Amino acid sequence: MRTLFPVLLTVLLLGSAGIYAQENKPPPGEDYVSRAEYDKLKAEHEAMKQELEGLKTTVRQIANGTVPAPAEGPSTTTKSPEGKQVVTEATSQSDLDALHEEVDSLKSEIKGVVPGTTKFLLAGYGTAGFTARSGEDPFFDAAFNAIFLWKVNDRLLFEGELEFQFEDGNTTTNLEVAQASYLLNDYMTIGVGRFLNPMNYFVERQHMNWVNKFPDKPLAVYDGLLPESELGAQLRGVIPIGPTKLEYAAFVANAPDLITTPGDFSTLGMLDFGNLANAGGHIAVGGHVGFIPIPELEVGYGILRSKVGPRDQAVEAILQSVDFNYVRDSTLLKGLINFRAQWVWSHVGHFIYDPDGGQGFGPFEFNNNRNGGYVQLAYRPTGFGNIIKNFEPVVRYDRLNQLHTPVGFDEQRWSFGLDYWLTSSAVIKAAYELDNKNAGARDQDAFMLQVAVGF
Amino acid sequence: MKKLTQIIWRWVGFPGTAIVVFLAALTWLVIGCSTAGNSASTASGQGGAQLWAQNCQRCHNTRSPSTYNDAQWEVAMMHMRVRANLTPEEHKQILAFLKSGK
Ligand code: HEC
Repeated sequence: MRTLFPVLLTVLLLGSAGIYAQENKPPPGEDYVSRAEYDKLKAEHEAMKQELEGLKTTVRQIANGTVPAPAEGPSTTTKSPEGKQVVTEATSQSDLDALHEEVDSLKSEIKGVVPGTTKFLLAGYGTAGFTARSGEDPFFDAAFNAIFLWKVNDRLLFEGELEFQFEDGNTTTNLEVAQASYLLNDYMTIGVGRFLNPMNYFVERQHMNWVNKFPDKPLAVYDGLLPESELGAQLRGVIPIGPTKLEYAAFVANAPDLITTPGDFSTLGMLDFGNLANAGGHIAVGGHVGFIPIPELEVGYGILRSKVGPRDQAVEAILQSVDFNYVRDSTLLKGLINFRAQWVWSHVGHFIYDPDGGQGFGPFEFNNNRNGGYVQLAYRPTGFGNIIKNFEPVVRYDRLNQLHTPVGFDEQRWSFGLDYWLTSSAVIKAAYELDNKNAGARDQDAFMLQVAVGF
Repeated sequence: MKKLTQIIWRWVGFPGTAIVVFLAALTWLVIGCSTAGNSASTASGQGGAQLWAQNCQRCHNTRSPSTYNDAQWEVAMMHMRVRANLTPEEHKQILAFLKSGK
């Protein structure tokens, strides 16, 4: 081992020095090289190259363990003054380090020539679940989310997410994300296309089934008061401020639509976020700022403003969100504490629905303010033994207030869950949900199971 | 003043107000506690392993470096750089750690 590296180095050095010398120092008295001399040199050079390749192969094989390393370099046994035998370790650390470096550079060289592996990653997650909710038929469901990631170069990333799901007996496909991101500089990245809503922390960073700790998603933040995705452009990045960080995202996107002619009266005045064709022709403007004083904690605020409704009677909608996320390894509690909370507010300006009574309930107006969110605490006993450390009990409180809207009630739930982590991204979840609605609406407790695998 | 509190109350509602106040207090408490002990942060000069351990578990469980090969980590880390707004320094160091830590 010891002899290998110096030999390699010497060959390299001699080789390059030789070539250099030959190139730069013409034989005295002549300023050109004869054909014979050139051929001789070339042959020598080729031989040297081959020798070097041979050495590289050996190093590679040793590194991969396909051939045994040559017997440990000659250990020198000497007699110390006291007459004791002292064995000097022949392979010094620096030799080893140098060898490691060489092996690493060879590794990346090899990877560089294997086609097609440097740019593409198929990620995503699969889900299977079971829900038994009082007052509804119990059901099994399954979904598959495929995320295609292309790193085009060091600045350009393309991200596409397809969701395959069963809905009402059919398989549906949704294009959840289709975004090109370009790193403008260290602090700014621009994204265009369809992207997860940056002002909604839960949606952008927690809703994936291998991340979310409950089989279902909290009220208000998901499929509630805020959009899940946006179709438009965003500018985002991070500004380090001393030891802290401030992250930001700003976006423009298609506006939500105001529901003024509902099939179901309770949805009157709600915002329809699936407005891909941008009916109404408004543009939404939004953003999020997150402060990260220490890596374990992030506190953020998000806002979205837009005109909504028919062009001639458009009103303003303001959506706001605060988020708090704290994850810490606690030696005291021998485990990982995971505390998350997000609260959102939705305000839609004054609008007269069914002004001429044509729909049978108008003219009708109301204070279109709603709010809701969740608080969640989980504990993973990572400091304990094998089986125990894979369990993660979790509790969540979530709420959606819309008593004074056509919905006519507030809903709050307490959910208790127990997760078992098979790997860091594969989990089995079981949860029981206690539901409580006011104004005489029916409470619907639920029992849920889910298996989620992220890859 | 009374008017203002009323407006905030009507806007933010209950338990929204309680939660915002609670979270503000908690933020203050957490920062207070942790800056006293460790000045754990994004400061450069920290090793990739430490940056990885500190920054990657805020949103999800951390996957072992052996989950992916080097080329796959390059793509995943570019995804995270954008999604999690990593600084170039964090990105570089953590990627180097993930590539070496197998
Ligand atoms: C701000 C939250 C956040 C932080 C911090 C974060 N991640 Fe992620 N990570 C996500 C989300 C969200 C996904 C799922 C992406 C999706 O489904 O769209 C994800 C997905 C992944 C995946 C799966 C492959 C992929 O690209 O989707 C890997 C691997 C990963 N993260 C590694 C890391 C590492 C390493 C770090 C530390 C540098 C890190 N993450 C920090 C939010 C975060």
